[in-house]
Amino acid sequence: MTARRSSSSNYIVPAVSLGVAAVFFYASIDKLRDPLQFADSIAAFAILPARLISPLALGLPPFEVACGLLLLWPRSRRVGALAVALISVVFFTALASALLRGLTLDCGCFGAGAPSRTRMWQELGFDLLLFCGSLLILLRSRIPTR
Amino acid sequence: MNSFSKEDRPQPNEVLSVMRVHEPYLTYARDLIAVICLALVSLAAGLVINRFRSLPLPIMYQSPEQRFDAELTTLIVSPPFKNAPAATVGLEQFRSALAGKSTLIFDARPSSFYEQGHVPGALNLARDNFAHDYRKLSSVLKDAQVEPIIVYCGGGDCHDSRLVANALVTLGYDDVSVFTGGWQEWSAGNLPVTTGSNP
Repeated sequence: MTARRSSSSNYIVPAVSLGVAAVFFYASIDKLRDPLQFADSIAAFAILPARLISPLALGLPPFEVACGLLLLWPRSRRVGALAVALISVVFFTALASALLRGLTLDCGCFGAGAPSRTRMWQELGFDLLLFCGSLLILLRSRIPTR
Repeated sequence: MNSFSKEDRPQPNEVLSVMRVHEPYLTYARDLIAVICLALVSLAAGLVINRFRSLPLPIMYQSPEQRFDAELTTLIVSPPFKNAPAATVGLEQFRSALAGKSTLIFDARPSSFYEQGHVPGALNLARDNFAHDYRKLSSVLKDAQVEPIIVYCGGGDCHDSRLVANALVTLGYDDVSVFTGGWQEWSAGNLPVTTGSNP
């Protein structure tokens, strides 16, 4: 029984890591392809000043790719999971604040789309899932020994 | 000399146990520093990738409204705007051109005025929304490179028709004239009028 549980938990962390990494790779595609569209999405949140929008629109897609890559490698998985957890909190806060302010926008999280509050709620839930996934990876990954 | 007694001196196994207690925090701190470094490297990578784009994203973000405004200016300024006096036509010439149906008539007034009443068959190419209207009418204008064009506005001291006519000449249309009497003269003559956004 114990052996079965430990063998199944051996697969949980790599599987969740792979899933979260795939989501981050997918999310970065459209942002890398059309940074202007992503910058417009960031601006629609009306949170950041104009001078910070372009650096974020340019820096976030490579950051997402890097998170995905780090999650794939067991030794760097913890750093990747921590980065995903932090960025999920940022996404969640931005979306929740937009919803609370009554904004209807396209968050640009997974490419451009029509602004919709339903989609915003779905993406808020998805951020929560990503956060939980990254937390699971973070807590279950072994601290690397030197 | 102040020195630890043999009993006070921390034993090597005590040091190790303290380190063992703090190890998770140290690891989290190390991971956090790694994430910050990752963010900085990603920003640098994003900036480098942007430099090699055919259309790089400006570092100072411009809203869609600001970009449109800049585009409008580009459309009129480049190629250099020809502020030459366009040919003019009177009411009779304008009416015969209208009856001939081979002339394109443009109303250079703002859309709100156009919708209140315009010359039947005239298309709205407003001076204050020129780039937008020009793009909207691109299919009509593509066929009109060789057709005569007459532009009018409010009449009297109105300059909109001259500006639009000059812009059309600048953009490569050869036969462009201005109906100087404009809407004032047309409506005063109890001539047919169309309302709404359609020609």
